[in-house]
Amino acid sequence: MRSKHQVAALLFSAVALALVAAGSGLAGGSHSKASTASGPSGWVAKSSATVGSGGGFGETYSAPAATLTHALFRSNLLPANKTARNIALGSLGRSTKTVNYALALKCWKNNGCSTGTGGKLTVAYVEGFGENTYRQMSKMEFILEALTYPKIGKIIYRSAHSDLNQAIADFKSMIAQHVSAIVTYPDFGDAMVPVFQQATKAGIPVSTYAWGYVSGPGSNYTTVVGEDTCRLGKTFAYVMNTQVKSGNIAFLGGFPGNPLSLGWQKCEQKALNSSIKIVANDPTNWDPSKVQGIVSGILAKNPDLKGVSYEDALFMSQGGYAAYKAANIPYQGVFTYRTDEAGMGCLADKLKDPKLKIFYYSAGNAQIRVALTADMMKLAGAKIPSTIVFPIQLQNQATRDMCLKGYPPTASGTSLIPLSLLHQMYP
Amino acid sequence: MPVWLATVALVLVAAFAAPNALGHTSWSYVLPQATILAIASLGQMLVVIQGGIDLSTPGVISAGGNLVVGVGAGSDHRLPLAILSALGVGLLVGLVNGVLVGLLRLNPLIVTLAVGQIVLAWSSKYSRDVVTNQPNVPNGLASWAAAKQFGISNTFWTGAALAILVALALRYTTVGRRFQAVGANPRAAWIAGLRVRTHVVFAYAAAGTLYAVAAVLLAGVSISIDPAFGSAYLLAPIAAVVIAGASLAGGLASATSTWIAALALTLLTQMLVIMGLSAAMQYVVFGGAIIAGMVVSGDRVAALLGRSMRPAKPPPREASAQT
Repeated sequence: MRSKHQVAALLFSAVALALVAAGSGLAGGSHSKASTASGPSGWVAKSSATVGSGGGFGETYSAPAATLTHALFRSNLLPANKTARNIALGSLGRSTKTVNYALALKCWKNNGCSTGTGGKLTVAYVEGFGENTYRQMSKMEFILEALTYPKIGKIIYRSAHSDLNQAIADFKSMIAQHVSAIVTYPDFGDAMVPVFQQATKAGIPVSTYAWGYVSGPGSNYTTVVGEDTCRLGKTFAYVMNTQVKSGNIAFLGGFPGNPLSLGWQKCEQKALNSSIKIVANDPTNWDPSKVQGIVSGILAKNPDLKGVSYEDALFMSQGGYAAYKAANIPYQGVFTYRTDEAGMGCLADKLKDPKLKIFYYSAGNAQIRVALTADMMKLAGAKIPSTIVFPIQLQNQATRDMCLKGYPPTASGTSLIPLSLLHQMYP
Repeated sequence: MPVWLATVALVLVAAFAAPNALGHTSWSYVLPQATILAIASLGQMLVVIQGGIDLSTPGVISAGGNLVVGVGAGSDHRLPLAILSALGVGLLVGLVNGVLVGLLRLNPLIVTLAVGQIVLAWSSKYSRDVVTNQPNVPNGLASWAAAKQFGISNTFWTGAALAILVALALRYTTVGRRFQAVGANPRAAWIAGLRVRTHVVFAYAAAGTLYAVAAVLLAGVSISIDPAFGSAYLLAPIAAVVIAGASLAGGLASATSTWIAALALTLLTQMLVIMGLSAAMQYVVFGGAIIAGMVVSGDRVAALLGRSMRPAKPPPREASAQT
């Protein structure tokens, strides 16, 4: 009997210790700061120079040049189509409008909120998968943009946790609730077309971002916002052709069949030199653990791998780096990424290896703002182009460090979320 | 024994179809990952012995990994506390599962899934609030996990030692033999005076702790943590236990066979990647291999061989008398 009591005491001591330690970790990790009550909805600088002029449909077609440079690398990398350019300027120009940060944070944490404006409109961000930092930051960009519209009284967010049936059900739920506008990333590609059509038929504008291209933009749904992914693939190929010149490279993608990966991969493949061989093209589901397994497999067969093209810089700094380290192969080669999370840049700075060559574009979180503005302009009666395409300019880590001061490793430096708010999201 | 033969067959297939899967670079990934899966599978095995099932594995691994990073806060000085907190949470979740299943007699499938979801939700919040800003594992743990003794990673030796301990405890200690006896026939064990419910609670608590050990090691080899950390461990440990020959209805199970089944599953995954099969084809082959593993596992093959080698029965005496 006595020994049983001793065992029980030991168990409960361990549990108590766990709770104390977890609590201590929580307290230790939360560098809580006094939250700023309100501020600009996006990244703005003191410089007063603006790009664009005019306006219509509730928008002003101009934005601070510094904001554009922050999000796009150069203030002139705007869509070529005039209407698309105006939508982009109107959207990114809203960065200067003041919003309530406490409300934005509450809305972000609670996956939706009432904005308190009494506005009649309800907007929804609905996606198939929303569990990584990239998507969570996109959610905040969406909320910040929505808070600049007094007409919007309610914001809704739904993630289907990688479940297609749930994604379709979520979409149908939004249609049944008669929301005013929907922004989405179609993780399941054309499987979402029927519900897009239903929403469009019900008069609900639907826009996608991050080149969430599915069939029939302009008819099945309002518009697709993103960079020219084919151009991105060709630019990746240019880098590989000039930096790798010959040898083995690998492609990594997200969920099988997702439009973003397909977009750049098919164009890079066509534009590569014949002396460069693609030895693997594997979906990673944008999961760093899966990245580690896949990169490990590729390295086992191709220890002389000279380059990798992938969307996600962060995951290659996590799972990808772990795979190289486990294989005892130097983390060297030419890497082209679609995103610019600070963690990859900081790892490159730490390794200081000239043979590690990184070229990257922007994660493009701010594109979701443009998608929402397109929806809002559609509701105001504007004719929206079926695609809103941003030009590409790849950056070189050697000349533009993506390890930006003050940014969490998992955050993209080109996000328009104000830094003070980002620190409240990820203390 | 069948799982050992199946693994040898898999290695032979790999030698022809994907020889790189058996190279040094491949093993440097496969062995640590197989070890981590094996530890989680050992936990699942303890539960399965008692006729239960545990679906809280991804939740515990996610929480454990996030605690290692969150409590560790990038400092080696805080690492012992971080590891203890991960193990403590594993034990706590296991105890909750054990009490709900063993004492309150709730359905283990539903209970462990629900508890796992709650833990996963807490882990996601903790990750967002604490870990995202600093997702790197304390350097001491990452370096230790990457370090090798006799050319093989520390992770492997740790897992091997744990598997041997569990196997010896089950086979040669009174506690272990009682534990197996309760799993094999709870009614008989109860009549013999053994505390059946206490053993069930113990199984879940020990399983939770083993999942937490797996989480600590996985964090070490992953170097950094992400929100999906541990999500791959929902079905793989169950598959390993079943392929190793255990019955989901409860009863005896082998720790060493479970370890080998985990190795076979990890090697198979690596082999499919190296072969360059499409994602869809990888799922097909992986699923087919699990079914094949289940078919040849347990005593089915031995029983079949036994039946075929047994001499034919002589005709009944009465019948021969009549003729």
